[in-house]
Amino acid sequence: MKVLEARNVSKRFGGVVALSQVTIDIQPGEIHGLIGPNGSGKTTMLNLLSGYYRPEEGTICLGEMDLSQAAVQRRSAGGIARTFQKPRLLPTLTVVDNAMIGGWTATRAGFLSSALGLPLPAREERLLRARALELLSGVGLGGVLSRRASLLEHAEQRFLEIARGLMGNPQFLLLDEPAGGLTGVEIGHLQSILKVVRDAGVGVLLVEHHTDFVFRVSDRVTTLDLGKVIKHGVPSDVRSDPEVIRVYLGP
Amino acid sequence: MPPAADTTRRRIAFGGVLLLVAALPFWVRNPYQLHIASLIGVYWVLIGGLNLVAGYAGAISVGHVGLLSVGAYAFAILAGPHGWHPALAVLAAGALGGLCGLLIGLPSLRLPGFYFAMSTLACSLIIGELALAKQNLTGGGVGLAVPGFAAPFRSARGLYWLVLLLAGAVTWFTWNVTRRMWGRALIAVRDSVIAAQATGVPILRVKLTVFVFSGVTAGVAGALFGSLQSYITPDTFVFEMGLFFFVCIIIGGRGSIIGPLIGTAVLTALPELSAPLARLSNFLYGVLLLVVVLIAPEGIGRLLETSIARIRGQRPTSLPVDPDLRRLAAAIRSGHSP
Repeated sequence: MKVLEARNVSKRFGGVVALSQVTIDIQPGEIHGLIGPNGSGKTTMLNLLSGYYRPEEGTICLGEMDLSQAAVQRRSAGGIARTFQKPRLLPTLTVVDNAMIGGWTATRAGFLSSALGLPLPAREERLLRARALELLSGVGLGGVLSRRASLLEHAEQRFLEIARGLMGNPQFLLLDEPAGGLTGVEIGHLQSILKVVRDAGVGVLLVEHHTDFVFRVSDRVTTLDLGKVIKHGVPSDVRSDPEVIRVYLGP
Repeated sequence: MPPAADTTRRRIAFGGVLLLVAALPFWVRNPYQLHIASLIGVYWVLIGGLNLVAGYAGAISVGHVGLLSVGAYAFAILAGPHGWHPALAVLAAGALGGLCGLLIGLPSLRLPGFYFAMSTLACSLIIGELALAKQNLTGGGVGLAVPGFAAPFRSARGLYWLVLLLAGAVTWFTWNVTRRMWGRALIAVRDSVIAAQATGVPILRVKLTVFVFSGVTAGVAGALFGSLQSYITPDTFVFEMGLFFFVCIIIGGRGSIIGPLIGTAVLTALPELSAPLARLSNFLYGVLLLVVVLIAPEGIGRLLETSIARIRGQRPTSLPVDPDLRRLAAAIRSGHSP
């Protein structure tokens, strides 16, 4: 099984150092929590791993493959899926269509074979739709399949993004504050969904402010502050670390 | 209503409309009306292709009139002085339109919306000037006579049916594209570049593909257009025409096929209904555009959709999110072990 790893990566924005010499790895079948105060570099790390940013130093590797300079699309095709802090859906499309676009990398039908109505695109369409229905019912959106995404509630949008991410059979799922704006019950659902995803062998990176939730669901937790790792370990160790308490959790 | 009955009913309605349109030469009142019907079809061959670029992928091209003129001149020159068979000349016009689409699209589709629109405008102006300057090829300002098609498409009726056939083909191609993954990818490129990237959609390749396709349909439309008008000059292909194609799509609605089709038919036929209206045609386009943008920004297509939903009494109701974990686990695992 491959590991997704950032080795000694640094990222600057102008004169501001967002990340400095940070190393982090995500194993298959684990939930890795990434916490830290605002501006500590959590989302920057997620953007480096998913390819929206390129590191100035260090490498991003998937197994033996160096992805440091690879486009977002190549990482997606390589099995790295992600969600966004503010859900990025296609507002005019239905829930099913929004999930199905997540299967783009799994399809081979080109423009011409689609335009000419050849059998391949139709067959792929059937398979993807069936899979989308399963995943959507799985995350609890079975009742709103044909609703436009612009009409969805907040939690529905978040869960739809997760389903879309899972459509491409990813090995790694990177989540940017998935619990943001969810109610207690919905966070409970999110927790069970993430555990199912992990148990199926997918590595999950959880960037999150909701620390109780992170400590509850994660197998390992990394804490960032001012672009550096200050503590890394199992949740109970990180939670009781004096430095983590001082800069982030509070007494 | 059960879905099967729904489909049957839709098929009957579709067949009825098709029959009515195919029989149009027998029920129009004069040759001029037949000419207008043919013109709508010719415009649709272009706009149907452009719809994938502008309505689906959201790339604002106002310069497709340039590609139309390329097709028209190519057809006129090849089927006229060079004596090519018209069918071959149409294919060449389409191929040339596609090639021009590739040459224009490759550098310009990387640009953000406004700059892309400006570059398509610039290209159409350049093509117009070239047509004027290359006198020995295009006849310059005097223009060029465009030959007709071979029998059975030689008569006005025959040409109408040829146009109808090609317009139908373009509609069918675009319908096939838009209801599958490519349609979703195009809309992703339009609505959220970030989401498109995250799902692995190659943005430039997708945009370039539909732009080349629209170049092919514009080239074919040009050949038909020239043949229908029987004489072309650089003044035939004014800049407003490029804007007109784009406006048809906006009024029809982005992300719809039937909407822009209706838009094309209405905007082409409207000024022709009576002489006084013709003088007001630009004014009418302006008013219609304002009304659509202000009242129904998603266009005629979306208006149709929502009215149908309202008539059927479909109203969104919200249920609490309730995951089915066993199903989720099975779905993820099935994807990992094909």
